Amino acid sequence: MVDGNEEEQLLRDLHRRMVRIRVFEEEAGKLMEQGKIPGALHLYVGEEAVAAGVIAHLSAEDQITSTHRGHGHLVAKGGDFRLMYAELFGKAAGYCKGKGGSMHIADLDLGMLGANGIVGGGPPIAIGAAFSNKYRGTQHVTCCFFGDGASNEGTFHEAANMAALFKLPVIFVCENNGFGEFTRQDRHQAVRDIADRAAGYGMPGVIVDGMDVLAVHEAAGEAIARARRGEGPTLLECKTYRFFDHVGVRGMGVVYREDSEVLEWRKRDPITLFESHLADAGVMSADAAAAVWLEVRSEAQDAITFAEQAPYPASAALLEDVYATPV
Amino acid sequence: MPAPIGIIANPASGKDIRRLVAHASVFDNEEKRRILRRAVLGAVAAGARHFVLMPDSHGLARSAFDGLDGEIQCESVAVPETASALDTIRAAAQMRATGCGVVITLGGDGTNRALALGWRDAPLIAISTGTNNVFPTLIEGTIAGAAAGLAVTGAVSPAEVAPQVKCVAIEIEGEPDDLALIDAALVAQRHTGARALWQPELLRAAVLARAEPAATGIAAVGGLLRAVSGAEDQGLGLWFGPGGVRLRAPLAPGLYRDIDVRETRLLALGEPVALAGPGVLALDGERERVLRDGQRAFLRVQRDGPRVIDVHRTLHLAAQRRTFVQGGGSNPSEIEIGARIWR
Amino acid sequence: MTTTAQRTRTTSYVNAILEAQRQLLTADPNVFLCGEDVALYGGVFGTSRGLMAEFGPQRVVDTPISESGIVGMAIGAAATGLRPVVEIMFMDFVGVCMDQIVNQLAKMRYMFGGKATLPVTIRTMAGGGRNMAAQHSQSLEAWFCHVPGLKVVMPSNPYDAKGLLVAAVRDDDPVLVIDNKMQLGMQGEVPEDLYEVPLGKARVVREGTNFTIVATSRMVQEALAAAEQLGADGLNVEVVDPRTLQPLDIETIATSVRKTHRALVAHEAVRFGGIGGEIVAQIQEEAFDYLDAPVGRVGAPFSPVPFSPALEALYVPNRDTIVTEVRRILGKQV
Repeated sequence: MVDGNEEEQLLRDLHRRMVRIRVFEEEAGKLMEQGKIPGALHLYVGEEAVAAGVIAHLSAEDQITSTHRGHGHLVAKGGDFRLMYAELFGKAAGYCKGKGGSMHIADLDLGMLGANGIVGGGPPIAIGAAFSNKYRGTQHVTCCFFGDGASNEGTFHEAANMAALFKLPVIFVCENNGFGEFTRQDRHQAVRDIADRAAGYGMPGVIVDGMDVLAVHEAAGEAIARARRGEGPTLLECKTYRFFDHVGVRGMGVVYREDSEVLEWRKRDPITLFESHLADAGVMSADAAAAVWLEVRSEAQDAITFAEQAPYPASAALLEDVYATPV
Repeated sequence: MPAPIGIIANPASGKDIRRLVAHASVFDNEEKRRILRRAVLGAVAAGARHFVLMPDSHGLARSAFDGLDGEIQCESVAVPETASALDTIRAAAQMRATGCGVVITLGGDGTNRALALGWRDAPLIAISTGTNNVFPTLIEGTIAGAAAGLAVTGAVSPAEVAPQVKCVAIEIEGEPDDLALIDAALVAQRHTGARALWQPELLRAAVLARAEPAATGIAAVGGLLRAVSGAEDQGLGLWFGPGGVRLRAPLAPGLYRDIDVRETRLLALGEPVALAGPGVLALDGERERVLRDGQRAFLRVQRDGPRVIDVHRTLHLAAQRRTFVQGGGSNPSEIEIGARIWR
Repeated sequence: MTTTAQRTRTTSYVNAILEAQRQLLTADPNVFLCGEDVALYGGVFGTSRGLMAEFGPQRVVDTPISESGIVGMAIGAAATGLRPVVEIMFMDFVGVCMDQIVNQLAKMRYMFGGKATLPVTIRTMAGGGRNMAAQHSQSLEAWFCHVPGLKVVMPSNPYDAKGLLVAAVRDDDPVLVIDNKMQLGMQGEVPEDLYEVPLGKARVVREGTNFTIVATSRMVQEALAAAEQLGADGLNVEVVDPRTLQPLDIETIATSVRKTHRALVAHEAVRFGGIGGEIVAQIQEEAFDYLDAPVGRVGAPFSPVPFSPALEALYVPNRDTIVTEVRRILGKQV
């Protein structure tokens, strides 16, 4: 058990991680709407508790694989706003020198093996990192984020089978937000709970409330500890909801879901819920919470200014980094 | 037409963290659907024609009716889906309003607790598809359904076979009341987290409506010290910590732990037990309510819970009454005569 | 040849691969092998026979039949410091892991601004001739040559098989090493020690003066046989084996064509859209003024690989197809 101080530190940490994700995403959404950020943005707003709750357990030596909706994972893993916004703008100072953009944002030094433009692209890579952790005799783990949509890709099934077979230290974290892009879950799979599938591979499958960061944190902690002990993978399904659209910001007034549903889920906004709990528990007053928001917003504004002013990549960059050892 | 049968199938039951920290099984939704299908067929065979369902996003419950003929009426109560216990609470309240004669639940202790929060004294048949199942029983869906059918047709009235069960009524200072069907425990935590209860060192005190040596969870902890059956008009209080006995008990499926119990005391119905925060009240094995520093909760064992239908007794009575015998109302001698004539 | 090997002996192509893998496993603890039936069974072609017993199941890993999972596992392992050698049993099976190869493996370094290093080697077996029909016989190298980020190697003899594989594994980029199943029994001189045949360097297999045949993989032997036969026509044919198709050593090829003034490219893959078209295009870009004839191409006809021995014999190009095409090209000359 953690003592009181450590626990309060953890709670504040979880809160800050979620606020950083929310602020980063909301600002990114604005920039996109203003036409400042090129390309497509898949925003993580609504799902913050999942990334924060899981990644709070990880060090830089533990890896994650992410999805097309990947900013939240990188922010939670400690991503630098300046390098992230610069990447979204396509600037040379970005995490990927402006060559990856939103859908491929990555920081291998932080163990973030990349957002991924291919739904279901991540699980095989995650088991590879987990294989490597085991091969190298480390205690490190890999968390593989994927959605309900990706659970229909063959790659997920191959990876799940191999992870269980090889007892790899990997946690399959399903962010079940109820939609595969614009298709509601009941129109893209006959099962409702992805966790049901875990038994089919011989691993535990667990469902937690993905809007409750402490529920996610506790369950992820158990799954990660199990993986570190060498007992193999776990499928952790977090029931969550995407407040915004699959791509972009608009989340209401759309053909594929009712506004009332969005509002119902917004009542369970993971950050609001958590702040109310923190206030009740006497850990963080509303004023203290507001101060965190202010601080993070100012961090974001500085980073956006940095990114806007940063130069685009030089033409020579076009052909750089195709190969490590060009012949 | 017989009164409707309410059906609450909790898709989330049997999937919590106890699959990870203990050794509980995953209860998948396909299995629940099949159990429900059998229950519906049993109920229809016993004469039921009208069902009211709790809706779910995938229509799992509704699909149990696929292909049944047009005589069967099946409707969903109108509640927004939140994928939380709120769905069950709202659905149960609506089933009462609709006039359901009996409710069939598929779930664990948590599911039935939510039902009771919405309809405290519901006539109930609880089929176990959860984790810590003290309240619902492992019973074949066909037979559970038949018993429900017999209840709504009046062939075997719930008044005959459904005694009201005890529960733990909970008052929390400054907050809404709550309820546990089997047990309520105070644990030394400040958050509900992943809900389930499996760490003995966190236990502080518990109030049990039933103490069952042949169960898992807090009910077993009490039951292995002093069994208290559902029929007894008393409950059990446990206070944890050193200075008493050390007990080995299954806190969750497959998870035996050594637990220090300082004091065990029988509780009269209505006798209040005051527990104070900081802590979390775990109700029927799930951390539900946070108590702040000094905030008190008063727990009482009362006999005002659901009226749980005794399925075995119902079927025995139906057999005695020859409810399933064709032609109805025949007695053995007539049957024998008829058989002889036919021959 | 970067390394001068001290001792050589004659051995088979399959043994050359096996030996390379054994020595790579010995030399570098970060090297591991994985694939379907590579461990206990030793590989369906015998290219890893005995290696699991020698290095243990942690380093020689049997996988499920899950090609995407296998390649993805290699990517994740490589991105975190290992040097995986993956076997995709038949080249045709790349169809079920194309996303992992093309969208993940090939692009990760570029997409991440150069921060990922992915030393993944994918070994696979191409080619017809064993009556294994349309899904176990293809030569699909052109697919991968088209994808920036991948390197593609096609050895034509035991010496190159070992040396190119060693170079591929030691290279920090993803490399597909495509062997041809008809060459596995081929004998040749192979040094006993580890050595590299550098990637991106073609080899002049046979020197000649007035015709160049650029041939890949198994077609090198067919080209050599054709060259002998064409000697009777008064041709002195030079045979160039690119060995690596991506990156392509166009300089060696162009140098040869500038000398001989006539050329033909031969590969086993389907002619239409094959790598031959690219090589021909580059020849005319680099040596247009030296050409005395259109540059020809020999490849498989535009059909799936047939099963029937009678049809497969018509399908896979050989010495005779090459000779015929050379003569056709020459016949066009006035």
